[in-house]
Amino acid sequence: MKAILAESRITSSTNVPTATRLLVKQTAKPSGVRRNFWLRLQGKEGALFLFGIVLLWQFVSSSIHFAGAYLFPSPVVTLKALWVSLPELLKGTWSSLIVLVPGYMLAVVTGIVWGLLVGTIPWVSRMFSPFARFASPVPPTIYIPYAIALLPTFRTAAGFVVFVGAFWPIFLNTAAGAASLPQRYRDNARILGLKRTEYLWRIVFPASLPHIFSGMSVGLVFSFIMLTVAELFGASAGLGRFVQLYADYADYPRMVAGILYTGAVVLVTMELLEQIKRRALFWVK
Amino acid sequence: MNALDTRSTNSVPGSGLKVESLRFAYNGTPVLLDINLAIAEGEFVCLLGPSGCGKTTLLRLLAGLETLSSGNLSWKGQPITGPSLDRGVVFQDYSLFPWMSLINNITLALAKSHPETDKKWRLNLAEEFLEMVGLADAARKHPFELSGGMQQRVAIARTLALGSPVLLMDEPFGALDPVNRARLQDLVLDVWSNASPRKTVVFVTHDIEESLYLADRVIMLGSSPGRIIQELRVPFARPRLRRTLAGSPEFQALQEQIAERFRQDTLQRIEAESVVNGDAEGI
Repeated sequence: MKAILAESRITSSTNVPTATRLLVKQTAKPSGVRRNFWLRLQGKEGALFLFGIVLLWQFVSSSIHFAGAYLFPSPVVTLKALWVSLPELLKGTWSSLIVLVPGYMLAVVTGIVWGLLVGTIPWVSRMFSPFARFASPVPPTIYIPYAIALLPTFRTAAGFVVFVGAFWPIFLNTAAGAASLPQRYRDNARILGLKRTEYLWRIVFPASLPHIFSGMSVGLVFSFIMLTVAELFGASAGLGRFVQLYADYADYPRMVAGILYTGAVVLVTMELLEQIKRRALFWVK
Repeated sequence: MNALDTRSTNSVPGSGLKVESLRFAYNGTPVLLDINLAIAEGEFVCLLGPSGCGKTTLLRLLAGLETLSSGNLSWKGQPITGPSLDRGVVFQDYSLFPWMSLINNITLALAKSHPETDKKWRLNLAEEFLEMVGLADAARKHPFELSGGMQQRVAIARTLALGSPVLLMDEPFGALDPVNRARLQDLVLDVWSNASPRKTVVFVTHDIEESLYLADRVIMLGSSPGRIIQELRVPFARPRLRRTLAGSPEFQALQEQIAERFRQDTLQRIEAESVVNGDAEGI
């Protein structure tokens, strides 16, 4: 989501100067007014693009007059639906997060610890890698039906699939980071005579943090996917459940509101992780 | 002047660093050949040679970071089998951990050299070490906030905090500008001469002037494969003054002699290679 936003910002910001140049050429004289107008838009391309999408949305939803028109609620209608269902959505957020956060945190802790061990101890790597090569590419959504059948409650089942979805990217990135530790850090640790736990915790772990954080971002996206998909299957509450419920009732304004709201929750969570990352990686130039 | 003929030093058995018929090969290619070297305790020795002569490898062997192919390596009669707190190392690329503040980089070393102490005591001592290298004010800063020269100061302070009797330095000032380089050379000389008992220093460099300014003895290494081509006792009295020393005819003569010896070695190698190639052409 973030990447797409960033990308749109890049393309539009590179487009604007080209457009400016074309305009200057066309008018064939230094028209300061026009140039100023385009220059002033620089840095606001992202907001303008979003605004354009909303306009397009408004236009499409108000100009369609066929049988399926109710499938395209206008922005205003959607906003109203969002406002009305806000209490329900907040409750849904809570019940989603109490599944997501424990599953994700468990994946973070186990993924990092196991990744550091696999990345630094050759025999552990030799033992685990064949299994990881087999198990990590399995799309985690495939476990959902079995997890729901196997585990006693929906919450534990959803928590489990969130864990599986987040574990592999975090583990794989951590192990890769630990394995690619620059030799000078290893030499220095040996010169200082660090013991294995100290070495792992004070050297390998911080040195691998850039890798670990990219694993954690991917893992977080995966956990949201896993969670909402699991909720479509059999939750009694939650964000995915909200969307599914109002789709079943054909209440599309609420459904679209649920989608937008879920997007916002993911965005905020990713931004939170980004802030933590920026703090933790202050030493990376 | 006959300094180039000086032979190896006082070798009291079981003291100092000793290298005996050391050979080191990497993937079958010989890197170091038949190295014999005795370094007395408290001596300042420079390993001087062009890049690729294996001087860094020799230092890493002394540090215990590499395993020799054959021969003997010992400190005070004890064979060197791995890294030890006896031998602190300052590397060319900065040895500090970038995610730790300067003071934490040093307390990490202190926790190893003084395991019985508490954290507060170590912090105090770490500050003293930073003050020794003139960086007490920067204690809470991180390495990326410092210039290369300052980082090397901290790296030296950390090695001192380890309390090692042997300092192994691998072109520590290779990346510094001349002013900082001179300052840090003086810092190393201060540290070396003020410590009691004196530290044993092995200092790797490719800079002839640097080796003559710093060392008691210069070990010249030739390349392909690395081997000792000459040893030389530096005759200048201490404390050495950079300006008067660099201007003196003895210094310049010695400098020229060393450069000449390296040129000879290079020529010999080129000749040897062309002989081999000539044979090949004959076939």
